[in-house]
Amino acid sequence: MGLTYLEKFRDPSLAKNLVAAIHKESRHPLRLMEVCGTHTMAIFRHGIRNILPETITLLSGPGCPVCVTAQKDIDAFVAVSRQPDVIVTTFGDLMRVPGSGTTLAGQKGAGADVRMVYSVFDAVTIARQNPEKQVVFCAVGFETTIPTIAAAVLMAAKEKVTNFSIYGANKLTPPALAALMTTPGVSIDGFILPGHVSVITGVDAYRSVFETHKVPSVITGFEPIDILHAVLMLVRQNESGVPALENAYPRAVRQSGNPKAREVMHQVFTVCDAAWRGIGLIKNSGMELKPDFKVFDAGARFELNLTDVAEPKGCACGEILMGLKTPVACALYKKVCTPMTPVGPCMVSSEGACAAYYNYG
Amino acid sequence: MNAENNNTILLDHGAGGKASHALFSKMILPLFSNEYLDMGDDGAVYPVPAGRMAFSTDSYVVDPIFFNGGNIGDLAVNGTVNDIAMCGAIPLYISVGLIIEEGLPINDFQEIIKSMATAAGRAGVKIVTGDTKVVPRGKADKIFINTSGVGMIPDGVNVSGSRALPGDKIILSGTMADHGIAILTAREGLTFDGDLKTDSAPLNHMVKTMLSSGCEVHVLRDPTRGGVGTTLNEIASQSGVGMTLFEKDLPIKKQVNGVCELLGFDPLYIANEGKLLAIVPEKQASKVLDLIKADTFGKNAAIIGQVTDQRPGKVFLETAIGGQRLVDMLTGEQLPRIC
Repeated sequence: MGLTYLEKFRDPSLAKNLVAAIHKESRHPLRLMEVCGTHTMAIFRHGIRNILPETITLLSGPGCPVCVTAQKDIDAFVAVSRQPDVIVTTFGDLMRVPGSGTTLAGQKGAGADVRMVYSVFDAVTIARQNPEKQVVFCAVGFETTIPTIAAAVLMAAKEKVTNFSIYGANKLTPPALAALMTTPGVSIDGFILPGHVSVITGVDAYRSVFETHKVPSVITGFEPIDILHAVLMLVRQNESGVPALENAYPRAVRQSGNPKAREVMHQVFTVCDAAWRGIGLIKNSGMELKPDFKVFDAGARFELNLTDVAEPKGCACGEILMGLKTPVACALYKKVCTPMTPVGPCMVSSEGACAAYYNYG
Repeated sequence: MNAENNNTILLDHGAGGKASHALFSKMILPLFSNEYLDMGDDGAVYPVPAGRMAFSTDSYVVDPIFFNGGNIGDLAVNGTVNDIAMCGAIPLYISVGLIIEEGLPINDFQEIIKSMATAAGRAGVKIVTGDTKVVPRGKADKIFINTSGVGMIPDGVNVSGSRALPGDKIILSGTMADHGIAILTAREGLTFDGDLKTDSAPLNHMVKTMLSSGCEVHVLRDPTRGGVGTTLNEIASQSGVGMTLFEKDLPIKKQVNGVCELLGFDPLYIANEGKLLAIVPEKQASKVLDLIKADTFGKNAAIIGQVTDQRPGKVFLETAIGGQRLVDMLTGEQLPRIC
């Protein structure tokens, strides 16, 4: 029986050859960062860490959207859910993320109308079906999700779904990589760049970070063969001393990405500074609604009276997201912080490094 | 008010008066009828042979109540039948407690009761006692069902989650995650190509064949909520053993795997309602596998792993590409209300 298209990217004999090549060619210790949470998950699910040579250390980066959502933003989602006649809509993995106090799941248990959706368009539909309620979508995510959120805002504007709004906490990937490279103590020998994000941004979006810091960089997909291939390319770049920005995911990622999606995104949103949980403020790393679409800003629609609350003491999520620490080096890991009682965001999202270590370690 | 002529369930149907009696005698009794239920007493009185009995109970709150391949009714019967069978018992009698939300269409109610009768017939168990309550709108979600049941354990049978031994083989009786994915797609209105159907089925005949074959069976468990991954973790800690699974041997339908990939679910943690895990000594594994495969509900059975003396309480998976990872217990819920 022939392999299906997808199965080819999981072919054990192909994987074996790649692993053998990595073992043969990797001589110097390398710290490689998989930027994206979906890569972290895939690496653990396929057991990739323990088939790589000891020379290679894989670090999980700041690319899990739930993990990097600022505590204050989670507090805002919770505060919105406490308002009368409000339906809060969210992607599932945000439900259990603790803010400074409770979670959206906790609020739901306490009687708030919090609904899990699979698409932002479901939130618009809920708004249409419940004209007497305010329907707020918790907008979390990177370049992959921002265009669809923008399209939903455009749809709501066109169809005059005025009871729909978003609470924006979207983030951009390349500025985070640039910030990472200028953070003292950070040492990364190669980036495994996100596949889905790059479908939108294209290869060119990383050009400026690459030219500035000359860190070997490979965009790749999420199948084991994709990931092993990217690791081998990064080993080769490092061993040859010739860093490059390469695309190992040409079946999905084009040089210029998806200009149409970016156009929609920039029609609705404009670049702003954004707070990243555990990392802090990163210049030009967020997206906020343009003045024309401010009417859809839930932050302006409700009086939330949020206060700044310090992030929990001892939580190393920030350092973990920057590759400065691994989860096991965190004093709270597995002791106080578990998926049942998460202290930091990396433990709660299924794509978080701490949860991946805990569940698959 | 004449509740019988209405096309929905009313509070009257649960009030214990004429409407209740009509509901029971016209809609329920004809379908469930057997010599013990027909007595019409407050409880069932039935004979028992000497020996050991197994007793189990489960409540069903699945949403939606109708889904591809079944409904809450057959699920409730099969679920308790299977729980009793997993104790190594032959299920005999079950009870049915119905909590109905006012306004449930009578047609839906009838279809559910009919499915329960069919499921009981298929499993060879008798519904010998029951109860019906109706609660005001909003106080329940359409219908909740509790089933309890008893079964007799044949002499010499000793099946328990604490009996897995290093060297034993782990058999899964068919493809995993079918039920959970069928429910999810029905509830969320997700449409996919292919036939995503619940696997809800009675496993007592399969168990009886296994146990009467003379083969030694150490553990039987149906991997319902929490899936194969969570169930094996429970057994590993009960027995104080380690386990290794082989990803390449895990049976899963392509379309189910596709939905899991798309939604980011791990099929090892998705519910099954017509599958069992049998842990048996290595030398009898192939014979037990053949017996399971000969059953209507076991055609896709496979040996998926083995019990080890390494890292007691832990379950590991050897991935298809030669890596290894931990299969921990499910934390929190991947999907709400699946059974």
